[in-house]
Amino acid sequence: MAKYLGARPLLSRIKDNLPIIIISVFAIFLFVAIYIKGGNAQIFNTIITGGLWALLAVGLALVFGVMNIPHFAHGESFMIGAYVAYFTFTPMQEYLYEKPNEFLSMIAPLGAILTAGIAGAILGILIEKMIFSPLRRRTKKDWIMNAFLLTVGLSFVLSNGANLVLGPNFRGISRYWDVDAVEIGGAYMSVDRLVAFAISMVTIGALWFFLRRTRVGRAIRAVSQDETGAQLVGINLNFIQTLTFSLATAMASISGASLLFLFQAYPTVGGTPLYYAWYVVMMAGLGNVVGAIIGGFIVAMLQTATQLFVAVSWTTVLPTVVMILVLLIAPSGIFGSEVKGVQEQ
Amino acid sequence: MNSSEIAQEQSSGWNKFVEFINKLGFNPLGLSLLIIIAALPASIPYFRQEYIVRWMIMGAFLAAQSIAFDFTSGYINVVNFGFAALLGVGAYASGIFSNVTPFIAVAPGLNPWISIWLGAIVAGIVGFALGILTLRLRGIFAAVMAWFLGIALMGLVNNWTALTRGPLGMNPRKFLETTDNLPYFYIIFTMMIGIYITLKLVTRSHYGLAFKAIGQNLDAARASGINPIRYLVFNFTLSAFFAGFLGGFYAHYFGSLTPSTLMHTSKTVEILAIAYIGGRGSLWGGIAVAFPFVFLIELLRTNFSDLPGLHLVIYGVLMIIIMIYYPGGLAGFYNWIKSKVQKK
Repeated sequence: MAKYLGARPLLSRIKDNLPIIIISVFAIFLFVAIYIKGGNAQIFNTIITGGLWALLAVGLALVFGVMNIPHFAHGESFMIGAYVAYFTFTPMQEYLYEKPNEFLSMIAPLGAILTAGIAGAILGILIEKMIFSPLRRRTKKDWIMNAFLLTVGLSFVLSNGANLVLGPNFRGISRYWDVDAVEIGGAYMSVDRLVAFAISMVTIGALWFFLRRTRVGRAIRAVSQDETGAQLVGINLNFIQTLTFSLATAMASISGASLLFLFQAYPTVGGTPLYYAWYVVMMAGLGNVVGAIIGGFIVAMLQTATQLFVAVSWTTVLPTVVMILVLLIAPSGIFGSEVKGVQEQ
Repeated sequence: MNSSEIAQEQSSGWNKFVEFINKLGFNPLGLSLLIIIAALPASIPYFRQEYIVRWMIMGAFLAAQSIAFDFTSGYINVVNFGFAALLGVGAYASGIFSNVTPFIAVAPGLNPWISIWLGAIVAGIVGFALGILTLRLRGIFAAVMAWFLGIALMGLVNNWTALTRGPLGMNPRKFLETTDNLPYFYIIFTMMIGIYITLKLVTRSHYGLAFKAIGQNLDAARASGINPIRYLVFNFTLSAFFAGFLGGFYAHYFGSLTPSTLMHTSKTVEILAIAYIGGRGSLWGGIAVAFPFVFLIELLRTNFSDLPGLHLVIYGVLMIIIMIYYPGGLAGFYNWIKSKVQKK
């Protein structure tokens, strides 16, 4: 944002930041409206949902920023995380049912979520090596569109493959932690929700630290800014790209796993999270990681407001109308896209 | 007149014929294959069985959709991710205009042969709006915008129960009184050919050149004096019009509509896969792929009924392979062979 720091007339600065100002006013308005109608409970609900959309959207933004891939199979990473968590957690649960152990039953869900994250990371490496790496060697022109179509095919293969192998059954758990809900400010929140929110915040924080403070993280940011320049200073492009993709997949898997109590695992469970993650990313600006975090909360507010003031079934319609308006005002998202290549297409 | 003159006469007649069908976008091989496909159900008993005719209808339906889809994605290089939703809009509009049952708030009870055109026009209007909305967006932004609009339209159809009965589904009238499938095959086959010829003629005109220029580089196209607004919106409108037209066929052939079976994103992905495997920017590639595909898929489905969704996995895998190793698809392969043959 350095270009706004100079001493320029107030009016011109307002004009430059018009989309941000409009959306901030809108967000504050929504926040107040939700608070008045729903009270603390709905506010907490919104924040928790927002954190999860943010976690998904950050992965999407990262993949687009570093690799220029509009990742359409992100929801399938979510699905795989949910399945892995289910298949690791239920045996543990049965074991603990026979031999109760307080400490283990506290730790077991975290173990399942971690396993899902690791599985996601491995899956990400496999996908990158098997699919995107050959495509990168062969395609130069129209990369974004080809990569997009490839991920569409991938999402088709993964979700229908899951249907083929595991069947269309719903596999879910009622809750991870068998404890009472916690009271915060007059609202009752289940521990699962709170932990899921904490996990998403910790993961985003860790990613933030990794990107800002470590050498490899800086390399990732360098690649997202200028691929050729990064190569010139000796960054191993293949390694960075594989790492980024596997990080993003792992993050989606973690959110799928930590939300297993809410979204049961079934082959097309990734559809809704994918939709909202894309929604956040488009609103905030493709490839903009910070924007994705803020966007997550704005989208969650829109969702809650629609549920409160209209009806649950309209949650796909009304936010989309808002989205279309946003894109009409700011064609590359509210916070703009720092990524080259989007406009070149 | 000696024999060589007669041969010349005949060959010039043949040349004239080739020239004529070329103008309509066919070559002799393609035309003869189409004639064979059209004649199959009427002449060979195996293809006359009801379920085989149904597969042929499905093949022609998918082929026609992929032509209309390729008109946008192959030429102006914008993937219309809301294609299935536009088709659904056409189907629902046609169904509503033709319905006489008291379930529906509006019941003019038009003849399906008229309402299908109204449905197409409604879809065309939505496509026009989509074209306007995506004007400032490029590539992936436009595709995602179309996707969002498709999801919103599906939500709208699901929620507007007074008109559509929502997820319960509505039952539009059928075109014909018969339970025989064969007439429907010829209806959809004619529609497919009509759509193909229309779109081929459009792309052969200066419009096609402008589309290609916009698809390759919008700024360069604008710099050379092409007004992108006009062409982009025209392309979207025409593609959506035909999508709605095909939706009308779906409504009055199957006689049952639900939002999730008609407008879901996975339906768009199926069409997308067929269009890209057939070859982008060719229009005919979809026809060449759709018929064998439907047969392959239905045979897989009947022989491996314990493996649901196997055909969709095959779609996806084929699409990935094509995208990585042969982005030109079948049409690209054909053109490569043709250029090899002509060189020799």
